Amino acid sequence: MPTLVSVFELPSNTASAVRKLRERGFDDLTTYSPAPFPELEEAEDPKPSKVRIFTLVGGLTGVVLGFLLQIWMSWEWPIKIAGKGYASIPPYSIVGFELTILLGGFFTFFGLLILGGLYPRPVDKHYDARFSAEDFGVVVRCDERDVAEVEQLMRSESAKEVSLVEA
Amino acid sequence: MPPPPPATAVAESLRPLTPARDSQANIDIMAPTKGFPWQYWLALGVAVLGVINLFGMIAYQTYVGLGVAGYQTPVFWGLYIITFVFWIGIGHAGTLISAILFLFRAKWRNAVNRCAEALTVFAVITAALFPLLHLGRIWKLYFLMPYPNQRGLWVNFKSPLLWDVFAISTYMSISIVFFYIGLIPDIAIARDRATGVKKILYTILALGWQGTGPQWKAHSRSILHLSGLATPLVLSVHSVVSWDFAMSLVPGWHATIFAPYFVAGAVFGGFAMVLNVLIPVRRIFGLERYLTAYHFENMSRFILLTSTICGYAYMAEYFIAWYSQVEPESTSFWLRAFGPYWFSTWCMITFNVIFPQLLWIKRLRTNLPFLFILGVFINIGMWFERYVIIITSLSREYITGAWGLYIPSPVELAILAGSFCWFSMWFLIFLKVFPVIAITEVKELVIHEKEHGGAH
Repeated sequence: MPTLVSVFELPSNTASAVRKLRERGFDDLTTYSPAPFPELEEAEDPKPSKVRIFTLVGGLTGVVLGFLLQIWMSWEWPIKIAGKGYASIPPYSIVGFELTILLGGFFTFFGLLILGGLYPRPVDKHYDARFSAEDFGVVVRCDERDVAEVEQLMRSESAKEVSLVEA
Repeated sequence: MPPPPPATAVAESLRPLTPARDSQANIDIMAPTKGFPWQYWLALGVAVLGVINLFGMIAYQTYVGLGVAGYQTPVFWGLYIITFVFWIGIGHAGTLISAILFLFRAKWRNAVNRCAEALTVFAVITAALFPLLHLGRIWKLYFLMPYPNQRGLWVNFKSPLLWDVFAISTYMSISIVFFYIGLIPDIAIARDRATGVKKILYTILALGWQGTGPQWKAHSRSILHLSGLATPLVLSVHSVVSWDFAMSLVPGWHATIFAPYFVAGAVFGGFAMVLNVLIPVRRIFGLERYLTAYHFENMSRFILLTSTICGYAYMAEYFIAWYSQVEPESTSFWLRAFGPYWFSTWCMITFNVIFPQLLWIKRLRTNLPFLFILGVFINIGMWFERYVIIITSLSREYITGAWGLYIPSPVELAILAGSFCWFSMWFLIFLKVFPVIAITEVKELVIHEKEHGGAH
């Protein structure tokens, strides 16, 4: 499939190009950015990130697990300490809190790995070291008949370079 | 309408991707990982020798027993607990800068957060050594873990010491996760420019990072959520550490002010250590463009604020000791200032409260040699603060007949010195392997400036 790699200098131009590509139905695209720019992320996919679901599930798992762990263990080996109940909730809130944070943090990390497709692997074929310098990249896969249109669109958005890397 | 030209014809008319000049931020900030002056190797050599000595001392104490430490009735929390609290405190500035200042959108943190996060991770790793040493029988460590055993006996969740196990473990884990997530895009930059073994190492650690839209979106949200989680965590960790003391009935310890007092002290000491680390790093590796007077001024203001909170806490402690009219409490505080440990108390007050007041002078807030020296004094003062809290209180409890003196043994002092070497060793290795400033965060500003014509 023909693949065009375009290089941009500014995030606003890149975001505008991506928006126009998507409006014209060119959804099979990948952007590369040297730093986070919300306008670019939103142009590519306006939906909010699902990382928040991972964080929420992790946090809830942590708090439930933290309290259950302590209450169950206190009843498993009941010892009266300082005149308090076997399972005394106020002091247990500390370990409950810590496990909320711990599992919330771990799940967030796993969310990042899953949603970002992060695992030890080589980079994409069309990735360029310039995209970790200060340039932005947009890789579009399109039909052969659309190549000229995509190329023209990229240039109209001030692309520094447009290359057809796969014909 | 004529048919579109074939793709190959279009290809001929398009320019191929050509190599371009690298980003200045990449060149400047990655430079320290490439060439290193002889002073670096000398410092690393000294640190490694110190670490060898540290583990030699630990092996000696493990073999002979805790008797080699200076513990004697009634002081059984000595230098190891002091140093443990000290290092945990040092670790607080990193998370404060990364998480709390991130939530407040304080842009000045961008240049200092990486160094501070690294400092947090290594300080907590250093702190984690000390409860093990304090246990004496290191091999009984697993007693602290809630694991199913044949006796069906579980740990006591009502004990602040166990809360501490959870708090420190969580803090260490979250700090490492935070540090690593922030590093991933920068490791990818290093990967794209490395060769040989380094390239393989960076390729593994970069996890295929390319800065695609989904990656940045997940990354930004992860940092935001982790900041939200780490903010209460950083405030809770030293609070829990303070409850190790405040939950007991020892004079000088049983006070409700302990949690905020410890947290403020931790941030204070942590920022001082950030200064002690950043000032030489900036000078040696020529990072003056990225670490400017503006950053040091902001850190100085934090130091001034937290120093004042510490000063208030010291005064409040003395006031309450007098106002309560509880004799053991007031005696304990009188002896802090005028008893056998007067030196440590006056060091604490002078270094933590009086000296930092010089930062009211604007010129001094950006005077780096002054800030470096002040940082050293503050670190000494903060170590003495924990010495005062622990030793003076334990050595002068309720029964005068049970009073005693604690003098650290040479083994303890060697382990204290070794802890600084252990911390320095990790930090020096970090300097060699990873960028010392968060490149992508700097680049975000640079590109923003390029787009908006120097609006920042």
